[in-house]
Amino acid sequence: FKATKNLDALLGKDLGALRDIVINANPAQPPLTLLVLHSLLCQHYRVLSTVHVHSSVSSVPPQLLSCLGPKHADSYARHMFQLGFTLIWKDVPKLEMKFSIRNMCPIEGEANVARFLFKLLAPYPSDAAVATLVDTWVDIAFYQLADGSAKERAAVLQALGSALGHAPWLCGPEFSLADIACYCCLSQNGSTSATAANVQRWIKSCENLGHFGPAKLLLK
Amino acid sequence: MTKEEANGATEEEQQAQSKKALKKQQKEAEKAAKKAEKQAKLAAEQQSAEEDDFAKDRYGVSAMVQSQQKLDRALVRVEDLTPQKVDQLIWLRARVHTSRAKGKQCFLVLRQQQFNVQALVAVGDRASKQMVKFAANITKESIVDVEAMVRKVEQKIESCSQQDVELHIERIFVISQAEPRLPLQLEDAVRPDGDGEEEGRATVNQDTRLDNRVIDLRTTTSQAIFRLQSGVCQLFRDTLTKKGFVEIQTPKIISAASEGGANVFTVSYFKSSAYLAQSPQLYKQMCICADFDKVFCVGPVFRAEDSNTHRHLTEFVGLDIEMAFNYHYHEVIDSITDTMVQIFKGLRDNFQTEIQTVNKQFPSEPFKFLEPTLRLEYTEALAMLRDAGVEMGDEDDLSTPNEKLLGRLVKEKYDTDFYVLDKYPLSVRPFYTMPDPNNPKYSNSYDMFMRGEEILSGAQRVHDPQLLTERALHHQIDLEKIKSYIDSFRYGAPPHGGGGIGLERVCMLYLGLHNVRQTSMFPRDPKRLTP
Repeated sequence: FKATKNLDALLGKDLGALRDIVINANPAQPPLTLLVLHSLLCQHYRVLSTVHVHSSVSSVPPQLLSCLGPKHADSYARHMFQLGFTLIWKDVPKLEMKFSIRNMCPIEGEANVARFLFKLLAPYPSDAAVATLVDTWVDIAFYQLADGSAKERAAVLQALGSALGHAPWLCGPEFSLADIACYCCLSQNGSTSATAANVQRWIKSCENLGHFGPAKLLLK
Repeated sequence: MTKEEANGATEEEQQAQSKKALKKQQKEAEKAAKKAEKQAKLAAEQQSAEEDDFAKDRYGVSAMVQSQQKLDRALVRVEDLTPQKVDQLIWLRARVHTSRAKGKQCFLVLRQQQFNVQALVAVGDRASKQMVKFAANITKESIVDVEAMVRKVEQKIESCSQQDVELHIERIFVISQAEPRLPLQLEDAVRPDGDGEEEGRATVNQDTRLDNRVIDLRTTTSQAIFRLQSGVCQLFRDTLTKKGFVEIQTPKIISAASEGGANVFTVSYFKSSAYLAQSPQLYKQMCICADFDKVFCVGPVFRAEDSNTHRHLTEFVGLDIEMAFNYHYHEVIDSITDTMVQIFKGLRDNFQTEIQTVNKQFPSEPFKFLEPTLRLEYTEALAMLRDAGVEMGDEDDLSTPNEKLLGRLVKEKYDTDFYVLDKYPLSVRPFYTMPDPNNPKYSNSYDMFMRGEEILSGAQRVHDPQLLTERALHHQIDLEKIKSYIDSFRYGAPPHGGGGIGLERVCMLYLGLHNVRQTSMFPRDPKRLTP
């Protein structure tokens, strides 16, 4: 990635306190893409990661409580971090993100939150067509791979196969959010085996990057 | 003598007077005669009625219970009157909540604590006309013993807690009679605020309730509130005991005020004066120095602040915690917040009926919390408030409106009604607060909030006598007065911290009530010393 390290430019002026990103997720649908993006954020920023359980949920499996990895050694001093990543397991119909409550409405949907988090890591491609292509793949991943029928999934797999015939990654020579979303939604359904050779090779390449460890821990 | 004195008046006057008096007397005599006649007639009627009353052994006012006999009679509880008891003949002791006579029938609502059931006396082979009349005339709030058959009802009785059954009364005896006029009506006292205005019905204001607290405490709402309060205390004790805490008792009559002398009650103590404790602060710290490691205490706390607000009392129940920690005072925060979360969970899981009952009269959103508890730092709170347009200095204390606003902002972002605010400015905390090692402007102190109102104030304490002396001098405290306190740290004192919670506030805020007097059984404030 060409990392964007200037959070002030991205998130507005510094108020001298932790910028805390709050994500409300339903434990019935752990947001795999966001966990992957979280570990990427940790490589670029000093991130204070915390997991809470909201009172609307009575019990949460232990692997969800530790899904953001072990506690940071400095986590007692919140002011030492650049970014807060607060994951709350809550009884919500749709995943939502709350960040700057004065200026932003809550962002709904894992795909949209993923787009927001990814922009903290790397800018979208400057070419409008490629940028739109990335967005399209993200939509396809969440609407058709994760939620779609068997028929729709098969169609997406075919499309993946043909796209990966032209380039190593879904949107060209560079790894992008499209790859993260498609990989996560694909493995969520456990349908990584019976696919074309192209897709198999792409899955291998994704796994070689080592970004998907946190998501894989939750896949059973 | 008196007659002669009366004769001293002029004759005319006397004559006129006596004439008037005579007339009056005559009239009165007539009246009395009529009355006597009427009474005789009534008595005769009654007698004749009593004579042919076949059920006269089945009702009446019983003799005062002076423990003359030990009846082997099982009294069923109202809450146990379920369809399983249908067609059983049972005995029951309850209050007459309401009675309504309708020709040959009389409907009673019998109440026991927060539960009530419909009962019926009807003229038939078990009850006579006179018995129905007697039942209808029992005053509200009287205590009665009732023998009755449990019957299933076809339509649910919406107005009662026992909706599936009613009682067909066979015997009814008054055990304790209430005076006919009640200072307030229970139905008025449980009416939700809005309803009264809409229907033009009466509601009872706070002061009337408190003046007649014994009756007000009988309402379903009060019953639920204080049952829940007892639950808070029990959960607090259970949780801490499980964590290895020891319960201690501390004196409430103390020789010196712990935090400035302005807001303490002075009591005369033989030839000198003493104070009523504002908190068991010093004593629980001394227990830590005496190797008790983790202590808590539940007891009265006194504040002589002349503030008449919705959340201040002059005497309240303090739940105080103090514990030694290993390396970081967050061990203390974690321990306290976990205790609070266990209390909230316990209430959520075991007191749902009580919460619902209170909600009927005082609707509020269910209490929300996170586990582990959200902890924010003071600077973050400042940033949130400034972002919302509040102008505040770095070292200013939170004002009450800002405290509430912050509560709303936190609720909006994190959806929790309970959170901890850490790292307060040192200047706004008491002298025994440990300064922050990284930034001397701040301190290792924290407040906890429920629904945007402070319920706990705590900190790491200074356990080093030298630093403690320095801090006391900085706060211009007379060292002589706190000598024994400082001395207790001279012989090895472990690092420790703690905090104190107000029981009434916790209950008030958990239930979303608006006045702390509602959760204090016999509240004390600058204007109220009775009942």
